Amino acid sequence: MNLILPDVRTDVAALARDVVKIYGRGETAVRALDGATLSIPAGRFTAVMGPSGSGKSTLMHAMAGLDTVDEGQVLIGDTDLGRLSERQRTLLRRDHVGFVFQSFNLVPTLTAAENIVLPLTLAGRRADQAWIDEIVAMLGLGDRLRHRPAELSGGQQQRVAVARALAARPRIVFADEPTGSLDSRTGEALLGFLRHAAHELGQTIVMVTHDAKAAAYADRVAHFADGRVVGVTGDEEK
Amino acid sequence: MWRLIIRNTVARRGRLALTLLAVLLGVAFVTGSLVLTDTSQRLLDDQFRTATAGVDLTVRDAAAFDSAMGVEVERDPLPAEVVDRVRAVPGVAAATPVVRGQGLIGVGGKTIVPAGPSLLLSWEPAPVGPFTLRAGRAPVAEGEVVIDAATARRHRIGLGAEVTVRAERAERLRVVGLAGFGSGEGLPETTVALVALPAAQRLLALGGDFSEVAVVAEDGTDVRRLRSAVSAALGSGYEVSSSRDVAAVGAAAAKTQISSLQVMLLALAAAALLVGAFLIANTFSIVVTQRTRELAVLRAAGATGAQVMRSVLGEALLVGLAASAAGTGLGVACAAGLRDLAGVFGMTLPDGGLVVTPRTFAVAFVVGVGVTVVSAFGPARRAAAVAPVEAMRRSSADHLAGRAGWGRTVAGTVLTALGAAGLSIVLAGPGSVVVLGEAAVSTVVGLALLGPAVTPGLVRLLGRPLGVAGVPGRLARESAARSPRRTSATALALAFGLALVSFTAVLGTSIKESTARSYAETITADYVVESARNEMLGGLPAHVYHHVSELPQVAVASRLRYGHWKDGQSVEALTAVDPVTLPRVTSLHMVAGRLDAVAGGGVVLAANVAKERNLKVGDTLAMTFSRTGVQRLPVVGLLRDRDAQALSTGYVISLDTYERNYREHVDASVFVKVADGVSGADAKRAVERALADAPTAQVRDQAAAVAGRNAMIDQVLGLVTALLMLTVLIALMGITNTLALSIIERTGELGLLRAVGMTGAQMRWMIRGEAVLVAALAIVAGVGLGIAFAAGTVAALGRATEATLTLPVGPLLLVVAVAALAGLLAGLLPARRAAGLDVLTAIATS
Repeated sequence: MNLILPDVRTDVAALARDVVKIYGRGETAVRALDGATLSIPAGRFTAVMGPSGSGKSTLMHAMAGLDTVDEGQVLIGDTDLGRLSERQRTLLRRDHVGFVFQSFNLVPTLTAAENIVLPLTLAGRRADQAWIDEIVAMLGLGDRLRHRPAELSGGQQQRVAVARALAARPRIVFADEPTGSLDSRTGEALLGFLRHAAHELGQTIVMVTHDAKAAAYADRVAHFADGRVVGVTGDEEK
Repeated sequence: MWRLIIRNTVARRGRLALTLLAVLLGVAFVTGSLVLTDTSQRLLDDQFRTATAGVDLTVRDAAAFDSAMGVEVERDPLPAEVVDRVRAVPGVAAATPVVRGQGLIGVGGKTIVPAGPSLLLSWEPAPVGPFTLRAGRAPVAEGEVVIDAATARRHRIGLGAEVTVRAERAERLRVVGLAGFGSGEGLPETTVALVALPAAQRLLALGGDFSEVAVVAEDGTDVRRLRSAVSAALGSGYEVSSSRDVAAVGAAAAKTQISSLQVMLLALAAAALLVGAFLIANTFSIVVTQRTRELAVLRAAGATGAQVMRSVLGEALLVGLAASAAGTGLGVACAAGLRDLAGVFGMTLPDGGLVVTPRTFAVAFVVGVGVTVVSAFGPARRAAAVAPVEAMRRSSADHLAGRAGWGRTVAGTVLTALGAAGLSIVLAGPGSVVVLGEAAVSTVVGLALLGPAVTPGLVRLLGRPLGVAGVPGRLARESAARSPRRTSATALALAFGLALVSFTAVLGTSIKESTARSYAETITADYVVESARNEMLGGLPAHVYHHVSELPQVAVASRLRYGHWKDGQSVEALTAVDPVTLPRVTSLHMVAGRLDAVAGGGVVLAANVAKERNLKVGDTLAMTFSRTGVQRLPVVGLLRDRDAQALSTGYVISLDTYERNYREHVDASVFVKVADGVSGADAKRAVERALADAPTAQVRDQAAAVAGRNAMIDQVLGLVTALLMLTVLIALMGITNTLALSIIERTGELGLLRAVGMTGAQMRWMIRGEAVLVAALAIVAGVGLGIAFAAGTVAALGRATEATLTLPVGPLLLVVAVAALAGLLAGLLPARRAAGLDVLTAIATS
């Protein structure tokens, strides 16, 4: 079963409005998100930047449907994630959200090619081979497809993760510190791929990072502190 | 150090819980077996001691041996004058004649047939008689009887009721009293009828004779000296024993069955513990792998390798101690349940207070702690080898997960090949059961070593059907293939249990089928009359044969008797036949000599027995009989093995020879050939009418007769299979445990799968798929091994007796289905846990 989102053409791919997320209760309660509001324009590469512990990852998890929020609203397209069940959120992630994590992105028992089409195969969908070929060519993974993750370098592993995130043509791709465990040259190459995907393929991408150099690759940078967005730069470039 | 160990163990109690349970169950099994057999033996000792408590010496007819195969031999009765001769010996305070025999009690037209004996005894008040009145009075007059209170209660027989007591003759008697035995109401599974001495003599057709003389010494007399005096006064035809010896001999005879049960129970407990050991080794190995980081930090902080090793072994010690303590308690509690289980499968054990000896505790703790610590030794050594730098590495789980080492694979291949070669030798002909046992050990050890090397391939092959179920199925397969050492250890534990179950089933069925076939080919009688009770020598009163053979509907009747004889130290059985009538109800093939020659006092041997003993027609065989001592019988013929098997023993003598050497006079079987022109049904009805006064006699057609012969095998098979299920259960806990631990290890990966869209249902499917796959691996290996070695055993046995391999397809399919289903069940809990993992936490763990 696939979760079908209404195919409305909108400039906003995802939206978080006045989101509050509290961990723990009573004395020890922590407001990880404290009225965070962020709009993600479609087809752009947005970075969410802030110091560690500022709540930026929590926001990403909420917007990606990995976690629920205590107050406020999160939309992907026109779909209010707060109204979805756990199962529906899983299906939404599978069909409409792509992920790149800092590390441990790949299933070790599957080959690179199998990892790339994993969300599609989980959904029982056929991969669009031309599209996959295009991504693979763009990421330069052509000769690595039959390898298992353990046989790939860190940079190659992250590129496979990017390919997987793009494979299902999701509404939005979330990348959580994707270069965090890469050396700087490999990291820069990966960031280049992400920007390329946004600019040339029209893929909406949100990247969470604490690294200003990485954020510089994005079209927009949302600055995050103490559980809320304190400013957005780069919007005027549009 | 110890505080760290204890805190570690407690912190990991969840991961160690199933390990603890496995050891606990194994220890409970051992404890239960020991408590049960100790209790049974003690009860039997008490019983026999009570029976002779007030008597100093017992005088009986002399016999070459007291008992054989758990049966006390019957002795000739003593003439009346013996009592006077005993009384005349100085130092004898009292000499009392005692009569004992078998007598069935009937009430309201129905005969009470207990699982044990039906005793008929002459009443003597204490201290000579072991029974004490609980109600009413002693049976002093004609027509009076006292029965045991237990039987009276069970069958609602009150004082004043009329019962029939049936021995050599039957009489209607009035119940005038109820008796107890020691502190109990009676003897287990036994009915007791106590009558006055003359009535007992009449019922048992003894004339003026009696069974034994109970002697009480005068106060202050040395019993040993008195024994010599009485013995000297009576001469060598009589045996004078101290009552304590008589009790010991009686108890020893009754205990033979219990000791074989004990051997069987302990062997099964060992199997359960072996499977438990696999599980423990696996658990500790996984836990150590998962803790590599922590251990490395310990090493970096200055802990020596030996300290790390001690910490792991210390944990094992704690688990072993806790499991042994709980297991011992559970075992004591379960001993009574085990007795009931044995009872369900037809093994009657005495009922009474449980006996828990210090030895039981010692064995339970040594076994429980020993198995745990020894199993944890390998993982502990690997833990000690963890280098401090591991602390700095990112992912530590994979490199210890265990690929197969070269040496291990080579050793495994060699041992498995040796095992297979041994099995082939046995299957091809020359090998013995000993070779087969060595081959079995070699194969099992070889497979355990070879497991990690062959598991990935096997798993991918067996898991092929899972591929059609999409990614979850494929991931299940790959996950099982990824940690070959873990998967193979988990599967082998279950395989071992399944191998034992299928071995038992195949061997039992083959033996039963072979018995049925040889019986069908050899016995041509239309009907067989046999006792419905499970009596070692059969239990038909002699008049059954006479009544049946006189019926006009019967063309010919022929009877068999069994007896025991001694060949040096070992006890053998023989069959006594009527050489004139037997050929008319059987189709016997002589390899040499003639069957009818046994009429002259000779013996016919089964061909394989003759070969084994290196005897041929014309040689003589020395046989020791209880009543007549050593007799040299000429070998007059050799019988085909299959036919000897149908007659139950490898030694055949004539009934006349039997008569001369045995006191026993019960028939085991009466073969009946229906007269021409009479329908089978009519003949059967007529025979049944003629058996009205022999309530335990049953008319059986061939199928029923075979079933009767196989009943004992069925009982043992049932009991063994039921107990082996415990082994299988422990192995299944192993699957649950391994999966649960592997889920902890794979938390990050599972979180990723959930993040990219695997649904909870798909994830549950994946984990259950892996569980079933491990079970499938075990089924293939276990059932395969079981069948192979059962085939080998049948081949080895086939040279001594007639045996061919028969596969019980239905039961084997049932084993496969149950194991697969159980695999699915074993995966339920881990699957639920995996699906319930919080995605965010799971991702964070990576």
